[in-house]
Amino acid sequence: MKRSHRKNRNPVNAASLARWIVVTAFLALAGLSYVYLTLQLYHLGERKKSVENELSSLRTQNDVASVQIAALTSRSALQRRLKEGYLKMIPISERDIVRLTVPARQADENVIQPVVNEPATR
Amino acid sequence: MNPHSRRRCALVCCVFIALFSAFSFRLIYLQVIKHDEYAGLAAEKHVYKQTIYAERGTILDANNEVLAHNVPVETVVGDATHLNNREAIVDLVGSELGIPTRQLAEKLNSERRYIVIKREVPESLATALRAKLLARNLRGIYFENDATRIYPNGSMLCHVIGFTDFEHRGIQGVEASMEEYLHGQDGYRYVEHNRVGQEIVPYRGQERAPRNGYQVHLTVDLNLQNIVENEIDAAMDEYRPKKATIILMRPQTGEILAMANRPKFDLNLRSEAKPEEMKNRAIIDMMEPGSTFKIVAAAAALNEHKLRPDSTIFCENGLWNFGGSALHDHRAFSYLSVRDILIKSSNIGAAKLALSVGEQKFYEYIRRFGFGERTGIELPGEINGVIRPPRSWSKISITRIPMGHEIGVTPLQMTVAMAAIANGGKLVMPRIVKSITSADGKAISSLSPVVLRQVTSPETARQIGDALRGVVSDRGTAAAAAVPGFTIAGKTGTAQKVNPNGGYEQGKYVVSFSGYLPAERPEFVGLVVLDDAQTSKPELNYGGLIAGPIFSRIAEKAARYLDLEPHEEIRKAIPIERVALTNASRH
Repeated sequence: MKRSHRKNRNPVNAASLARWIVVTAFLALAGLSYVYLTLQLYHLGERKKSVENELSSLRTQNDVASVQIAALTSRSALQRRLKEGYLKMIPISERDIVRLTVPARQADENVIQPVVNEPATR
Repeated sequence: MNPHSRRRCALVCCVFIALFSAFSFRLIYLQVIKHDEYAGLAAEKHVYKQTIYAERGTILDANNEVLAHNVPVETVVGDATHLNNREAIVDLVGSELGIPTRQLAEKLNSERRYIVIKREVPESLATALRAKLLARNLRGIYFENDATRIYPNGSMLCHVIGFTDFEHRGIQGVEASMEEYLHGQDGYRYVEHNRVGQEIVPYRGQERAPRNGYQVHLTVDLNLQNIVENEIDAAMDEYRPKKATIILMRPQTGEILAMANRPKFDLNLRSEAKPEEMKNRAIIDMMEPGSTFKIVAAAAALNEHKLRPDSTIFCENGLWNFGGSALHDHRAFSYLSVRDILIKSSNIGAAKLALSVGEQKFYEYIRRFGFGERTGIELPGEINGVIRPPRSWSKISITRIPMGHEIGVTPLQMTVAMAAIANGGKLVMPRIVKSITSADGKAISSLSPVVLRQVTSPETARQIGDALRGVVSDRGTAAAAAVPGFTIAGKTGTAQKVNPNGGYEQGKYVVSFSGYLPAERPEFVGLVVLDDAQTSKPELNYGGLIAGPIFSRIAEKAARYLDLEPHEEIRKAIPIERVALTNASRH
């Protein structure tokens, strides 16, 4: 009995089994990683889309604000405010203007003149 | 295994091999042979080219003040096949967008998939409506991004700036002439949608970013434009003319500093404007210039050395029969120098000046001053005017054209001609566009002054200029155009209005004044034209009495704005301590 049992036993090749386990685990891990990364890709895509929308919305708000600034600071708006009395402007009379005349150039201004360092005297 | 079992086993294997081979061939057929066809069909269904719209460029004045730019808006559209609660949607959208419920219900009562409900909906309103639709779980209404053109200054400079159509294409003014630069280039992106219409971002295809339109900087200075607009409005109130035009131009460079026409319209309400209000009369209206044209006859005679400024001409005591037709002066003049012909504005004298050079030469000078051809300004619709060649002239044309009759010129042509005198005889092309830059300020194009030709010698231009200074004096026809502290050169014009049915209209005149300041070193040339001004007395309907004072007021304010230094006469009024300070600053 003992002899026959030993004769029919299938010996397990541990090295081969280990190799198969490693290969299977690697494939499983690779598959899971692939699924995970694919999901990440979709998730990041959604995030990208949402950031794009946010950026577009901010740009729109910025545009609307600059339009409002331009409208409020436009000449027509300022004139309207002037007419309504929110602003007051007093014309500057000719007497209150001081003009600084550019000094006249000397005739010999452009002549090249030598520069001499005077020797120090004791 | 017995042979029978082996055969059966082989048969099953063959069946399986045949089956999987068929599947394999089918797969290869679909995936390899038919790949392109089915990929195309799939793309057609799920992939589409999304346009990324470029932003239209801004228009700015010489000081970078915004004249035209964009405001984001949204277009509200409906898909009738997606509407899940038609009544609730009609009520909500109708009340939010201010559309009558019945009208909206009729619009949505179809099976169309793209129904434009309202265009140019402000961003804030669209956001609020979107939130309300979402909160009530109403589907079938969509929002498309768009932009509309806004003109912060309303009607100011309306004829120069122009406007765009619904497709954001310029159709008038600088908006039209600079369309190529303002429009930009749309971008695109290939996107793929899932079953419910959401974009699958990882499957995005080829993409090209849009190139926004360039910024166009005008030569117009809004401060000067404002001065001109105020004065033209005042003139409209005072004289109620049918039309009016005022132009300010820098003679050395041809830069248009201000340009205003009446009637006008509001650029933001352009759909309400009448065609008559939209015309830029400075470049598309033709007028007989009247006596302002006498500068051409005088310049021709002096430049050809036929006469000198102090040469005297007999002016026939106010009535001259030439070619069987009488020519009158407004006053009886006997002998006048060439200078005085301009100062006193003698028609007979001007006619004799033209006769001294002859028809052909006089015609050449008219053309050399730029009449009869477009000036080349960057504005659409400019006309040539009408200058007939000498072979089409009548016997008396040589006596009528020098006083600005029998010809048609635009106000801009007249300004450019006067600028040639102010600029030492050089004819400069007028320009309204100063430069073109990208949105980040990088220069794309910068336009430099273009001298077209030397019309007269500098000496002749100076002689004409001297005579024109006399026009704005107590001896001349435009004493009212004077500006205290400055010397002004200019010429008045009073032309009877042409009747479209032939002849002239009695009692109706086009009055004008064209001049420059300071006469010795001109900073700007101006033209004031009023068509059919209403005055209390007919004898007041003269260029010198109507257009002259308007020019004077504009010139005075413009000189102050440009910080031009007045002459000694004004300095006398300055307190002594100020003079002392001014003198002290020289050293």
